[in-house]
Amino acid sequence: MRSGFVLIAIVLSFFAARLVQLQGLDPEQYAEMAAAEGSVTVLLPAERGDILDRNGEPLADSADGLMVVADPTMTAAKAPEVAKFLAGRLGVDYFRTLERLRVEDSRFQYIARQVPARIANEVLSDARELAADATEDAEQAKQDGDEEARDEFEAVADAYGGLATRRDPVRFYPARDVAANLVGFLGTPNPDGSAKPSAGFEATFNTHLAGTDGEARYQVGAGNKLPLGDNTVVGAVDGQDLTTTIDRDLQWFTQRVLRQTVRQAGGDSGVAVVMDSRTGDVLALADDPTYDASRPLDYDKDDYKSRAMTDVYEPGSVQKVLTLSALIDAGKVTARTKLRVPGSLDRQDRSIGDWFDHGLIRLTLAGVLAKSSNIGTVLAADKFEDGQLRDYLTRFGLGQRTNIGVGGETAGLLPDPSMWTSQTQDRIAFGQSVSVNAVQMAAAVNTIANGGVRVDPSLILGSAVTEDGDEVGTDVATTRRVVSAEAARQTALMMERVIDPEIAIAPGAAVPGYRVAGKTGTAQRAGLGGYDGTFTVSFAGFAPADDPRFTIYVVVQNPRNGGGGGSVAGPAFSKLMGYALRRYAVPPTGTPASRLPVEW
Amino acid sequence: MSSSAPASVRTRLSLQGRGLAEAAVERARLTVVPRRRTRAPKVPFVTLVSLLLLAGVVGLLLFNTSMQQASFTTTALEEQATNLAAREQALENELDELRDPQRLAEVAQKKFNMVPAAAPVFLHLGTGKTEGEGGAPGAPLDLAPDRPERPGVLDPAPIITTVESTTTTTNGAGNGRGNGRGNGRGDGEGAGATGRTDQQQSQRQQRQR
Repeated sequence: MRSGFVLIAIVLSFFAARLVQLQGLDPEQYAEMAAAEGSVTVLLPAERGDILDRNGEPLADSADGLMVVADPTMTAAKAPEVAKFLAGRLGVDYFRTLERLRVEDSRFQYIARQVPARIANEVLSDARELAADATEDAEQAKQDGDEEARDEFEAVADAYGGLATRRDPVRFYPARDVAANLVGFLGTPNPDGSAKPSAGFEATFNTHLAGTDGEARYQVGAGNKLPLGDNTVVGAVDGQDLTTTIDRDLQWFTQRVLRQTVRQAGGDSGVAVVMDSRTGDVLALADDPTYDASRPLDYDKDDYKSRAMTDVYEPGSVQKVLTLSALIDAGKVTARTKLRVPGSLDRQDRSIGDWFDHGLIRLTLAGVLAKSSNIGTVLAADKFEDGQLRDYLTRFGLGQRTNIGVGGETAGLLPDPSMWTSQTQDRIAFGQSVSVNAVQMAAAVNTIANGGVRVDPSLILGSAVTEDGDEVGTDVATTRRVVSAEAARQTALMMERVIDPEIAIAPGAAVPGYRVAGKTGTAQRAGLGGYDGTFTVSFAGFAPADDPRFTIYVVVQNPRNGGGGGSVAGPAFSKLMGYALRRYAVPPTGTPASRLPVEW
Repeated sequence: MSSSAPASVRTRLSLQGRGLAEAAVERARLTVVPRRRTRAPKVPFVTLVSLLLLAGVVGLLLFNTSMQQASFTTTALEEQATNLAAREQALENELDELRDPQRLAEVAQKKFNMVPAAAPVFLHLGTGKTEGEGGAPGAPLDLAPDRPERPGVLDPAPIITTVESTTTTTNGAGNGRGNGRGNGRGDGEGAGATGRTDQQQSQRQQRQR
């Protein structure tokens, strides 16, 4: 009796010790082992947000995709058969696939990547059927006692069984090169299927777009979820869509017109900006040369960036718009101020000339702008007080990034007050010794269009946070008054005379039926060691001149056909403006055109 | 110990004993009720319990089976939903590609000979008046894409051979085979192989000539 109790006590103490071991010493490991038994963890992929234009048309679109992978230890024996099957179904190269199926010391080889899910699933289920058929044949052969045939069939079954799929999302750029320099692209995804943004918004707003993957863990039996088994789901948080201010059709048209312009002028590159004058929304921002975002590797890497944001150049005579409007605002001159403009003007370090030969001419301020006289502009700018021009230009946004959400933006170059001499001021007044990026300059000219109030340009509709933590978009765009409404109105009237066929500076920029205000620019390009004899030609303007809706800025670098701002960029401006006015159904204002005198 | 104390205890006990005896007599008058034996049949109860048990087990089994069945259906339907979603995405992408402005413009210009308009004219429906000048229609847009420059390996110069009439048949067959094999291979190597094969062949042809 007593010995019986002792026996039970001994047995129970063993149990107790085991209990302590299980629960006390390492409970988690055992819990995990228990959970892993028959349980499956499935990644719930978050869908990457789309990049949309202002009307919801997709510029970048995501779809489920799969990669087809192989385990060479299983496929090597029957590689030719499997390679033939894959080459036929997936359109992959037979020889390359064959090599991959035979790689030694590897258990993982890519066969095809970013295959649309439907196709990959079909191929894989066919492969499984083939494997099942081969297994059946092997059974049959075993019954028949044919060992050799059985081995053969088993090898085939193994080889097809060595194929698998993994997640590999596909990114589509349905409009190909439309806004490609802004949107950017995703490179080949990382092996785990996560996205690898390579340029543009895809990189700048990666966190915003990416979302967070979820996870589901459940118990399975024979490939089916056990209804009463453990089941935990952490849902995926899809990425947010990014809505841009770009109008896809207008962007496309802008890119084509720009490309045609650059080609015809034999230029190196070009930029075109179309802005909504009132809101600052950038409706189109075209770069040329550009690239096809769905086949980026076929193109030069230098073409991935947005030249409109990353390249600086001297704006040339377009700058006169800013200088003269600032002068009017400061109360120093009016559009009718009379100036005597000599043929050349000797200043401390050099003499300043005009693009056209003339003796002493008598121009009004409107005439100075309409005929684009450097000398007239310098004479007028002499009326500025110290530091006044620089203050105005800073308020126009020169020398500061626009921060519209494009990576690698340049701030441009506005000389520091310590470097600001009267010679510098002379040159800056007509657009030398100052560098800008295209969006900066478009926003500055748009200030005149918007009645003297500068509105921050935007590329993002609403708001979004960049990888650097800056919040950008129309919601956070600010406005500030730079010049008075009256100064802006007078400047617009002066700019209208530039288009006037009588003055014949840029008649090609006219839009039939509308009042158009604009300004040409032809600036020397600075290379290594000074000006290199090539030019930047440009045209900036807005329409309708008395109630502006759009501001358009076209820049062509290094045209080789000898054209200037009026003949190269002017016709492109006209096409773009005509299209924009038609597309947004802006009727002509029907008011009489500006008749400001240009001479006296 | 003294003897008087036990004597008194005994007296008290005897008094109590009398009382108890009386009570016993009183109680002796009661008789035990004969035990009543009811022989309820055991079988129905056991059967009932067994049946309930059985029904429970079978019900549970059926319930479990039906849940398993539902789980199979869920898996199948989920797979179908995934496939259909993938199909929907594929169709949407196709639609997006059809709506590509470049494609539309090419169709408009090439098929329908359309050109971009210069400037709009507005018709006021109330008054019937028009506003705007319109202007002459613009020239067709240059729609040709920028051709990316491929490395020379991928884009070999065409090899032109003039074939004399007497040897046409044999050379033609040789060329055909060579190209077919070359194209069958992949992009990189395949194109290179094509070039090489053709070159070799053209050399051979020249030697033949």
